Amino acid sequence: MPIAIKLDEVLDRRRMSLTELSEAVDITLANLSILKTGKARAIRFSTLEAICTTLHCQPGDILVLAEEVED
Amino acid sequence: MLPTAHLTNKDRLIKGSRLFVRIALIVNRAFFFGVIAMLVVSIILSTRFVPLLIPTTSAADLPSALTGLRLLMLVGLAMAVATEIVLRTLAQIITSAGAGDPFIAANARRLQTIGWALLGLQLLAIPCALLDKFCPALGSAAPGASFSPGGWLAVLMVFVLSRVFAAGSTMRDELEGTV
Repeated sequence: MPIAIKLDEVLDRRRMSLTELSEAVDITLANLSILKTGKARAIRFSTLEAICTTLHCQPGDILVLAEEVED
Repeated sequence: MLPTAHLTNKDRLIKGSRLFVRIALIVNRAFFFGVIAMLVVSIILSTRFVPLLIPTTSAADLPSALTGLRLLMLVGLAMAVATEIVLRTLAQIITSAGAGDPFIAANARRLQTIGWALLGLQLLAIPCALLDKFCPALGSAAPGASFSPGGWLAVLMVFVLSRVFAAGSTMRDELEGTV
């Protein structure tokens, strides 16, 4: 998949667990796990907004083109 | 209140449909085995079988009427087989709808199967019309030649619905991977 998810890294920086994020953004842990492991096919703007608001980051911090990751 | 009432109605509809299909399957199978039994009796009794179904047949018409009746019974068997396919496939669709997951690729294929079976049922009107025309000895037992626009419309609708379900299941798959 050309788009990589860097949710793990952002969570590490914020010292937050996936469960805590799940409670904060009101999205099931199962769905967040799908997103974190890169198995999601699409992400809603509302989900992205909730995650970015909670983690105080930009969408670009979470979603990255795979080429950028390789660099 | 409304969602609960809606769910109850939906459950009733599913249960009612399931019961209807089950009864229809039993009736259809009874018809199938009844026709097979009549076919066997027609072989055993030969021309003596005809007056049992068409009392008004003259002696000269007996062989022709017997052939006509046997052909009619074969058409009946084909109809029962097509109906069995329609009902069994419909039962599978109802089960998936009852499980709350009707927009799946399997249902698109099932609807296509129903479409082909309905088309077969419609096409069986042709041998019926031929028997009506070329076997006057059948008399009151003649199936009658009738064109049913509603039947052809149902075939078309089911094939279109099959495409709708195929598109719906693809969209649902997309949605399933959306977070």
